[in-house]
Amino acid sequence: MTTDLTRPLLLEDTPIGPTAGGFYRRQNVYTGLAAGILLGFVGWLISNAMLEGSNWGTDMVVTVTMVGWVIGFNLGVGTFNAPLRWMLGHDQTYEDELYAAGVGQGRKRYYKFCTDHKVVGTQYLVLVVVLFAIGGTLAMMMRTQLITPHTDFLSANAYNAIVSIHGMCMIIATIIMVTGPFTNFVMPIMIGAKDMAFPRLNAMSFWVVVSAIPPLLATFVLGGVDAGWTTYAPLSVQAPPAMDAFAITMIVFVISVTVSGVNSIVTVLTMRAKGMTLGRLPIFTWASLVGAALSIYAMPALLIAFTSMITDRVVGTSFFVAGQGGTGWLWENAFWIFGHPEVYIILIPPVGAMLEVASTFARKPLFGYKVTIAAFVAVAALSIMVWAHHMFTTGWAPELAGPFMVTTEIISIPTGIIFLCLIGTLWKGRIWTRLPMYFVYLFLWNFIIGGVTGIYLSDTPADEFFHGDMFVTAHFHYTLLGGAMIAATAGLCYWFPKITGKMLNERIGKTAFWIIAIGIQVTYFGMFWEGFEGMPRRVAFYDPIFQHANDMATVGAYMLMLGWIVLLYAGINSLRHGPVAPANPWHSKTLEWKVPTPVPLVNFLVDPVVTSDPYGYGEPEPVGPLIIPPPHPDRELVPNLSSDNPLAKDDG
Amino acid sequence: MSSDPSGAEEPPVLEQGDSIVARRPFFSGPAGKIFIIWFLMTTVGVLIGIFAPHHLLPTLLSTEGTDVWRTMVLFTILAAPVAAFVYAVAAYSLIGWRHRGNQDEPPEDGPPLRGNSTVTAIWLGVSSVLVLVLLAWGLAVYSAESVSPPHSLQIDVTGQQWVWTFSYPGTGVETRSLVLPINRPVQFNVTSVDVTHGFWPVDLGVQVDANPGVVTVIRATPDKLGKFTVRCSQLCGLYHSFMYAPGSVVTAAQFSQWLQSEGASTTTAQATALVKQ
Repeated sequence: MTTDLTRPLLLEDTPIGPTAGGFYRRQNVYTGLAAGILLGFVGWLISNAMLEGSNWGTDMVVTVTMVGWVIGFNLGVGTFNAPLRWMLGHDQTYEDELYAAGVGQGRKRYYKFCTDHKVVGTQYLVLVVVLFAIGGTLAMMMRTQLITPHTDFLSANAYNAIVSIHGMCMIIATIIMVTGPFTNFVMPIMIGAKDMAFPRLNAMSFWVVVSAIPPLLATFVLGGVDAGWTTYAPLSVQAPPAMDAFAITMIVFVISVTVSGVNSIVTVLTMRAKGMTLGRLPIFTWASLVGAALSIYAMPALLIAFTSMITDRVVGTSFFVAGQGGTGWLWENAFWIFGHPEVYIILIPPVGAMLEVASTFARKPLFGYKVTIAAFVAVAALSIMVWAHHMFTTGWAPELAGPFMVTTEIISIPTGIIFLCLIGTLWKGRIWTRLPMYFVYLFLWNFIIGGVTGIYLSDTPADEFFHGDMFVTAHFHYTLLGGAMIAATAGLCYWFPKITGKMLNERIGKTAFWIIAIGIQVTYFGMFWEGFEGMPRRVAFYDPIFQHANDMATVGAYMLMLGWIVLLYAGINSLRHGPVAPANPWHSKTLEWKVPTPVPLVNFLVDPVVTSDPYGYGEPEPVGPLIIPPPHPDRELVPNLSSDNPLAKDDG
Repeated sequence: MSSDPSGAEEPPVLEQGDSIVARRPFFSGPAGKIFIIWFLMTTVGVLIGIFAPHHLLPTLLSTEGTDVWRTMVLFTILAAPVAAFVYAVAAYSLIGWRHRGNQDEPPEDGPPLRGNSTVTAIWLGVSSVLVLVLLAWGLAVYSAESVSPPHSLQIDVTGQQWVWTFSYPGTGVETRSLVLPINRPVQFNVTSVDVTHGFWPVDLGVQVDANPGVVTVIRATPDKLGKFTVRCSQLCGLYHSFMYAPGSVVTAAQFSQWLQSEGASTTTAQATALVKQ
C-alpha cells in the first residue's frame, strides 16, 4: 500500500485483519431475520406446550412468540455481541471495534449492526421513509373508504385495524423522524464529537426499533387492533390477539427511544469539542437535548401502561377492568402522561432543525437564541403537566378541568416565542429561497393554523363539542404533519447534501413542495369542515350530510400522497444522477458543514476548537467555529488553518 | 460570507440642525407594508371568526352550544391579529427581503440582529394578556356549566355496543331516542355496560364518556326546538360508526304527550314534564 502524503491517514483506510470483528463478520440483517423467525417459532412451540391443561389462551402464544422474535432478531443481527463477549470474559479488540464501525465493508455496512453514527443515521432515515410509506398507504385506504358514506372497500373491522395501525405507525415514525436520522448523523458533528457517546447503544436503538415493526404489521393477520392508536381500555383488553403484538411493539419501541434518548443526552453533555460551551450549541442540538430529556420522562409511563395491558390480557390481572378493581381511566391517564409530552418529543427536534435552516437561508443570526432555548425548556416542562386535557370529556375529575385548561393555555406562550424567534430571524434577512426554506414557510403557515385550532380545543366548554370529532384529527395533523413533519422535511432537504453527498434536485423538489403544500390545506380543511359539522373520528361509515367535506379531504389526501411520492422521486433521482455536493453548499456556519463530504469515519481530521456560536452571519470574521491545530506532533497532517487566530498563536 | 473588508461603516456624524435623509412615507417602508398586510389579514381573520363558525357549526340547540359558538368567535377574533402579524412578516420577507436572481447565495449577509429584548418583552406581554383573557372566558363559562340548577330533568343514559338507551327516572320510560323539553335544564347521568363510549348529543354542544362501572354527568339546557343526533365519539368496536340515536327538543306539552305515548301514566308524565325550576 502506498501512502499518499498529501492527505491525512483516514481511520477508514486502516487495514484490518481477516478475522477482525469476530462474530460480527457473519451477521447482518438476514441472519437477524433468520434467528428472529427461529426463536419466534421456538417461543410458539414452548407457549403451546405450556398451554396444555392451562386456561391461558392465544394471547400467551402471541406474546411469547413476539418476544422470541424480538430477542432472536437482535441476537442474529449482533445487538448483544459485545455484552455477551464481555460476559464470556474477553472484551472486543481495537480491530473488532473498527470492524463494527464499518471499516472495509463498503455498502454492506448499511445492512449490519454498525456503530458509526453516520451509518446509524442513514439507516434510520431509510426506516423512517419506509414507516411513512406504510402509514401513508394505510391513510390512503382510509380516505378511499370514506369517499362515499357507505363504501364497500373495507370492512368495519379492517377499517378499525387500519385506523389504529396508521396512527401508531405514524407516531413511531414521527418520534424517530428527526432524532433518528438527524440527531444521529448531524448532531455529533455539530458539537465536534467523533461519534455518539455510546456507539453500540446507538446501533442497538436502531435495530431494536426495526425488530418492533414486524409485530406491528402482524396485527393485521392476528385479528386487527380495533381500539384506535390510543387503545382505550376496556375495549383493548377485549381486543383480538393483535393487541398483544401491538403491546410488544410499543414496549420494544420504548426501549429503543429510551436508549437513544440517554445516548443523545450523554453525548451533548460530555462529548462537546473544546470551546463548545452550552451557550454556543447550535439550536438543533438544544432541541435534540430537550426532546431526549422529555422522552426519558415520558416513555416509562407508556412502558408501564403496555406492560399492565399485557398482564391484563395474558395472565388475568385487572388494572383496567371495571368491576374488578380496575378502571379505564387508569389507562387513559398512563397513556396521556406519555402521550402529551410525546407531542413535544415529536415537535421540538424538528423545530430546532427548522430554525437552523431559517438562520442559514435568511443569512442572519438566530433571533433570540437564549430565549428560544428557554422556550424549548418551558414547553417541555409545561408539557408534563397538561396530559388531562385529552380527558376533559371522559368524566374523570371534572374539578381538574380548570387547572389543566390553565396549564394547556399557558403552553401557548412559549410556543408563541418560537414563532417570534422564527419571524425575528426572517426580519430584514437576505432570504435565499432554496428548497429547505420553502418548507420553513410552509411550517410557519401550517403551525399557526394548528396552534390556533389547538387553543379552541384547550377550552373545556368548546372541547365538549369538538372532542372525539374530526376537528381534533385535523388539528393534530396540522401540528404533526403540517408542523413537525414539514419542519423535518426542511431539515432533510437542508442536510441531504451532507448525508448523501449529492445535491437534491430542486426543480422536482419544488414541484413536490407545491403539491404537498396545497394537499395539506385541502385535506385538513376538509377535515375541519367535517369536524364543524359534527362527524366523529374513526368511523368507517358516516351520515350522508358529511359527504362533501369527506370528498374534499379524500381528494386532498390523494394529492398529499402524490406530493410525497414526487419528493421521494426527487430524492432517489438525485441520489443516482444528482451533482456531487460540495462540503458546504449553503455556506452555513455549523460544524457539520466544515467537515468533508462524505464525512470521514471520525468526522474531524483534527479536533475542532470552537470560538463562537455558529450564527455569526453578517458579523465581522473571524467568527463561527474554527478548526485550529491541536497541540499535537502530528500537526503536519492538519489542513491549512487560519494563523491569525489568537488560540492558534497561543498554541504555537 | 464576510462583511465588507474595508471595515465597519463610519456612522454619519450629525450636527444639530442637519436635516436627516428625507423621510419616506410610512406606508412605503417595510414597517408600513407589513402593517398593511397585517391589517388586511386581521380583517380577514376577524371576518372568518364572525362568519365561519356560524356557517359551519350545525344549529346549536342549547345554551351550552351557543357558548361553544361564542367561544369560537371570540377566540378567532383574538387570535387573528397575532396570526396575521406572523403571516404579515413572513409574507413581507418574501416580497421585500427575498434575494432575487438565480440559485446563488445572496452576495451579502443580513444584519446581525441577535435579539431584541423590548420586542421579546412586548411579545411575551401581549401573548400573556391574550392567554389571560382566554382563560378568564373559558373558566367562567366552564364554571357556569358545572352546576346543575335545581329541578333539572334527570335522564339516565346507557351506552352499550352499539346502541344508546335513555331512561327517564320516575316515569318508567326507556327509549332509544332522546326527547327533551325546551328551556328546562337537563342532567344526563351517563354510564356504559361494556366498553367506553362517548355520549355526544351533537347539536347540544356537550359530551361526556360513558364508562363502565361509573356514572359521569353532563348538563345542557335546550333553548331551541329542533332535531339532533346523538353520536358515539369514542371508538367502541366493530359498529362504532352505526352507534347513533335520534334526538329532538320539543315543547313541554309535546314532551308530556310523548312520555305518555311511551307508557308513562298521565300524572307522572305531567309531573315530570311541567316542573319548572
